[in-house]
Amino acid sequence: MIAPKPPLPARALDDRVFAGVAAATLLAFAAVALWPGLSGYRVNIIGQLACFALLAVALDLIWGYAGILSLGHGLFFAIGGYVAGMHLLEHSVATTGVTPDIVQFMGWTALPAWWAPLGSFPVALLAAIAVSFGAAFAFGWVSFRSRVGGVYFAIITQALVYVAMLLMFRNDTGFGGNNGMTGFQMIFGVPFQSPSVATGLALASLGVLGVTLVGCRLLMVGRFGRLLVATRDDEIRLRSLGYDTLRLKLAVWCLSAVIAAIAGLLYVPQVGIINPRVLSPELSLEIAVWCAIGGRGRLAGAVIGAVLVNAIKFSLSATLPELWPFVLSGLVILVALIFPNGLLDIGRWRPALLSRPGALRPQDAAS
Amino acid sequence: MWWRALFAGLFGAILTCGAAAAAFDRAAIASQICGGAAGMTDAANAMLAGLVDATTDDARWAAALSGAAIDRSLKCGPQDPAIVAPEGAVNAATLSPVEGSVGTSPLLSLKNRPLFETVRAAATLRSGAAVNDRGAALTALERRAGSLRPEFFEKAAEAETDAGLRSRILAVGQAALLNSPDMSKRIAAIERIAATPDRRSLTRIEALKSDPAYQTDPGFRMAVDGGVASIGRWLSVSNALNVFYNGLSIASILFMASAGLAIIFGLMGVINLAQGEFIMIGAYVAYAVQEALRAVAPGLIDWYLIAAIPVVFLATAGIGVALEATIVRRLYTRPLMTLLATWAVSLLLVNLMRVTVGTQNLQFVTPWYISGGRLLMGDFIVTWNRLFAIVFAGLTLGLTWFVLKRTPLGLNIRAVTQNRAMAGCVGVATRRVDMMAFGLGSGLAGLAGLALCPIYNVNPQMGSNFIVDSFMVVVLGGVGTLAGTAFAALGVGQINVLIEPLYGAVAAKVIVLLMIIAFLQWRPEGLYAVKGRRK
Repeated sequence: MIAPKPPLPARALDDRVFAGVAAATLLAFAAVALWPGLSGYRVNIIGQLACFALLAVALDLIWGYAGILSLGHGLFFAIGGYVAGMHLLEHSVATTGVTPDIVQFMGWTALPAWWAPLGSFPVALLAAIAVSFGAAFAFGWVSFRSRVGGVYFAIITQALVYVAMLLMFRNDTGFGGNNGMTGFQMIFGVPFQSPSVATGLALASLGVLGVTLVGCRLLMVGRFGRLLVATRDDEIRLRSLGYDTLRLKLAVWCLSAVIAAIAGLLYVPQVGIINPRVLSPELSLEIAVWCAIGGRGRLAGAVIGAVLVNAIKFSLSATLPELWPFVLSGLVILVALIFPNGLLDIGRWRPALLSRPGALRPQDAAS
Repeated sequence: MWWRALFAGLFGAILTCGAAAAAFDRAAIASQICGGAAGMTDAANAMLAGLVDATTDDARWAAALSGAAIDRSLKCGPQDPAIVAPEGAVNAATLSPVEGSVGTSPLLSLKNRPLFETVRAAATLRSGAAVNDRGAALTALERRAGSLRPEFFEKAAEAETDAGLRSRILAVGQAALLNSPDMSKRIAAIERIAATPDRRSLTRIEALKSDPAYQTDPGFRMAVDGGVASIGRWLSVSNALNVFYNGLSIASILFMASAGLAIIFGLMGVINLAQGEFIMIGAYVAYAVQEALRAVAPGLIDWYLIAAIPVVFLATAGIGVALEATIVRRLYTRPLMTLLATWAVSLLLVNLMRVTVGTQNLQFVTPWYISGGRLLMGDFIVTWNRLFAIVFAGLTLGLTWFVLKRTPLGLNIRAVTQNRAMAGCVGVATRRVDMMAFGLGSGLAGLAGLALCPIYNVNPQMGSNFIVDSFMVVVLGGVGTLAGTAFAALGVGQINVLIEPLYGAVAAKVIVLLMIIAFLQWRPEGLYAVKGRRK
């Protein structure tokens, strides 16, 4: 189907929103770093939100810009998370000498020997990047090569994360099974009880988020980003013009996977546990929901969506946990039907609400 | 062997008497029994031989007489032999009361005692009134079974009313033959056991390999090896059938869960993530029908599965149409957004069901027509509940095929699937077709839920267990073809069942997924791609 030519994006608005989000990130960074009145709990929440925002940015790169929806990004998040778990366990054992619980319930005598190198943080970071990159490259190459895309790709990624979850739930797989990994004692030689750990982790998450936002923004307004948008809107035409869309898609797919893995790496020390539940298809779907709610293809939207949805989730799970699924599904349906480009549309929304069902909206032709 | 010679002679004598020999010559036996040790042996052997064809009445008499000989209540004197009991004496031949019996009780020789005990046990097995008596008699016979003719056990088993005891009788009979000292009997017994190939027979024949005769007698060894090989062959056939049958039943459920998905996907390019919840709702509606029947017509409650078919279909199809009209219709040009919207709907439905009905598993009545099964051969059992799912899926396939190929609605669905714009140009109301097809697809999912109720846990989360598998079926089968979906469901079902016993359920899922990814390298559009330009 030939899509109607989309009008130029409201670039001025986008620029302003992006600047706002970047400023907010900076503000949060400054607040966490300098404001002593912020409680440890709040700092921890801010750090977690930053990780989710990072995850949403990763998904927005491929869904918003390249038009490829992955319902399996939890896989890469979990890769980072499990590497972080292994690193923290190794580090805790090395510094305190206390045998962690995982050794007992897995029936081991000590942590597996091949985990030992992960006790050093640079090795763990490299490992998380390498493994997520490798997995993304292998899967992306076979999928994009055979031109699997759209809904097919979404479904297969969902199956991938589901199968990974089943694998990790088994004790025999060797990563703690159902219980996962927990009971971390030390991080960079500092005990977890120390308040500076939460602050440090939140600062690291916000810092990485800020750098990633700016870096991706630069990448996306440049040639690479424009080619990606062109792939999303009319891949056949771009191929006919001689561009290798396989490489483009593969590049952004791997970049997105690595960012998601780093988000996982930052997230696990903040919650103190990693288990196979992060691999549930629901979590991966929720990432897409954050992007959809915030607005795709704008990076800032992903951050806004992730922060907004998770802030509501945190506050509701403390007071009315049964209400959360209803709120979430209501939000998604609302966004899908009325604000197709996410909440950033509110500014442009006119109450010609039920204009023409199915009317094509700009920017959505290929999504 | 002293008694073998006796047997041979006696069998010959009885055979010459023909079928009429069924009844004992009671008077002759009664007089023989008083004829000293040799006479008693003859009498016992005559009774043993006669017991094969004896009537219950004859067997009862034999039990009484042999019992009397053992208890020494038998009196041999100048008159006819008599049995003395506290109630009074009876004639040993006719069991009619007699007056003033005198005489001595003949002494059972060491040789004759086991013989008479065998007779008593065999006769009790044929005539005992209580199951326990017969069971005790069988236990007594077990060690001496070799001295009885094989036909005896077969006849006794035929006459036996208690199923458990019957199979025990047969087992004892076969065991008796297997351990008989007569090599030809043993070989015959091996062949007889090999004729019913199941795991029990296999272990029994394999046990014979440690028998000394296995090393010394080539004929015996051949019979044992042949028996093991033949049972092994049959067992592997029945195992293969079992695997195929299980795979078929899984495939049926998968097919029903994914047929609707495939139709909708082919038609609108939309994946309905709420499909699993339609399965769940189908099962819940079936439960409602069951409860309604319980309240209104408790006698008909067994038929709820049948009564629920139209109700389930209409209810889930109605919900599907409503979903299409309110949400999916507005998102046609954005299939990925539809994915999220239908996911939100599934979340909503699961939680609504959780809040209103609860999270516990629903209790379903198991109707008589789907309980139990039938042993067809070897270890291959056709269980009715699985057969129900298979037949149900078969009927659904046939009916869906009919709707798609032979009705105006089906014609429209196929037209819109092939070329939406062109179908619209020639006057097909594409939006109405979409709505109807969505209803059809949802109804099919509801029917899958119905077929699942007797074999699966029904709770609000049940749908999520199917959704990934049925997506795989749709991806593998290609869009919008019923045949592709059916074949893909068969393939995924069979592969799951084949791999599961070897590497476990998780590995089965991993391997199926990897195979699908590999398969898409070769045929990115699925098994049954609609011919056309490749995008």
